[in-house]
Amino acid sequence: MNRNYNLNSLWLSLLIMVLIVPLSAGAMEMDDCLGCHSDAEEVGEELFIDEDKFTHTVHAEMGCVTCHESVTDEHPDDGEAVTNTACLDCHEELGSEYMATTHAENATCSDCHNPHQVHGLKAVSRQDMNQQCSQCHEGSDVLESHTGWLPQADLHLAKLPCITCHTSAENYEIVLNITHKEKTTVAGSYPLSKYADLKEYSGEKEIQSLIDINGDDHISLAELRTFNRNPAYANLHLSGTMVPGEVSHDLSTLDNRYDCTFCHASGPGSMQTSFLAFPTEDGAYRRMTVDEGAMLDTLYGTPNFYMTGSTRSASMNIIGLIIICGGFIMPIGHGTLRFLTRKNRKH
Amino acid sequence: MAEELQDQEHQHQIYLQPIPVRIWHWLNAFGIVTLTVSGAQIRFPEYITLLGSYKSAIYLHNTAGFVVAISFSLWFFYYTFVARTMANLYVPKVEDLKSGILRQVKFYFLTYFLGWENPHHPTPESKFNPMQKSVYLAIMFVMMPLVSLSGIFLTNVDPLRGLIVMVGGLKLLAGLHFLLACSLIAFLPTHVYLATLGRTPTEHIKTMWTGWEDEEEHGEETETGDLVASR
Repeated sequence: MNRNYNLNSLWLSLLIMVLIVPLSAGAMEMDDCLGCHSDAEEVGEELFIDEDKFTHTVHAEMGCVTCHESVTDEHPDDGEAVTNTACLDCHEELGSEYMATTHAENATCSDCHNPHQVHGLKAVSRQDMNQQCSQCHEGSDVLESHTGWLPQADLHLAKLPCITCHTSAENYEIVLNITHKEKTTVAGSYPLSKYADLKEYSGEKEIQSLIDINGDDHISLAELRTFNRNPAYANLHLSGTMVPGEVSHDLSTLDNRYDCTFCHASGPGSMQTSFLAFPTEDGAYRRMTVDEGAMLDTLYGTPNFYMTGSTRSASMNIIGLIIICGGFIMPIGHGTLRFLTRKNRKH
Repeated sequence: MAEELQDQEHQHQIYLQPIPVRIWHWLNAFGIVTLTVSGAQIRFPEYITLLGSYKSAIYLHNTAGFVVAISFSLWFFYYTFVARTMANLYVPKVEDLKSGILRQVKFYFLTYFLGWENPHHPTPESKFNPMQKSVYLAIMFVMMPLVSLSGIFLTNVDPLRGLIVMVGGLKLLAGLHFLLACSLIAFLPTHVYLATLGRTPTEHIKTMWTGWEDEEEHGEETETGDLVASR
């Protein structure tokens, strides 16, 4: 009995060792890797890993050796070449979608995405998304090719990520970013606010509390209004953009994107779903849901987000209609009396 | 010879609307109708598709807006610097404000129905009655500049972003542009209707086309004229 117990406990401790040791070794290993690779002077620019950016990616959660399998404890003294796993091993669907495009002939995955810094679509800003494209596509060329056919091409290019149109994603979401005024010109310019910029406003509190007053992780129209009216935040403005609802790597332009009403039409459900993206400490973004239809509020919901045909407000339409109808009072009212009294004017 | 003939032809007429004003008027009228239709399609693309694609509606709206803004500037330049009658024609005088407007309102809404004559007799120096002056002052000096200016801002959102935020945001600007446009559209039926209140329904409209208006008959010669003269 006693012997059995000892045997059992021996097996158990062996089992625990088998299970835990590799995990702890793996965790240790990432620290070991970064011990050298986060120092550009030690490993050189090419092998440098920005620790702050890497540790916040999903890839970091998997540890270094998941992708670089050949690395041993003796690295780099063993002289073994370090293997890189293929992106498509995990990202099979997106990868094969991309490989079918003409883009694939010119750029590999890592030409656009740095696997040690990459974030998901929902955690990046419009600029982050376009940064990939602008590595090859010159801003002036892009503007020129769009100006020929797209009204307000400069505005479209400044406000939208390229993949809003150059993608096969069918659904869009409205994402609001906080911007702050910078006195570079008389009227000021409005770059996207970073975590530190907003921390100056929120102080001790979390930056989300600037808008999400009740802390329910959701932004109501009333909270948006309060934020926009608050004189203390006079230099903070919400800037809206449209991003694809899901990630697609088919970068072709669908024909319907040339039809302006694909976006500029207030059909059912248009402009209803929106999010506010708060910058996080590590340079990414965290989205928070916003009340349905807040984009349609005439003045105080999102004063700087307006899309012709899409964000028209119903109350404004009614006021407009009343004004136009008012224009017919004179012809109809006066005209009727004029007709009834026509005999008085016969000389 | 031709001049003499013309003089004879117009001997009981006065030259009320000089040619630059007439060109401006009809260009403006055509522009505003175009802006109304294209603007309606831009705001309600799923209901109004009169002008084909949304893009063509936008290009047409921008072009018509540009034409109206330029013709407005020429109109302003003509009256201020060439004819030099802007202040005289468009700014109501103290007299107009004190009694003129009331007299004109009384005519349009009461004595007109009794068959009295219009108390105001248009001359090239005083084309508009006191009521017209006030309405046109608001339209030409407040609404038209504001609607044009907001339109210019809305077609240059990216370069003028900072200024737009300063004036209260894009939505305020778009809302202002829309409501001003509605007010100008509302003025159209009133304007066209009032234009039919001449001695014949087409008298004023013909004047806006030819420039000539029949001279007022002498007040003493008509029954109603007596009433006007006796006041």
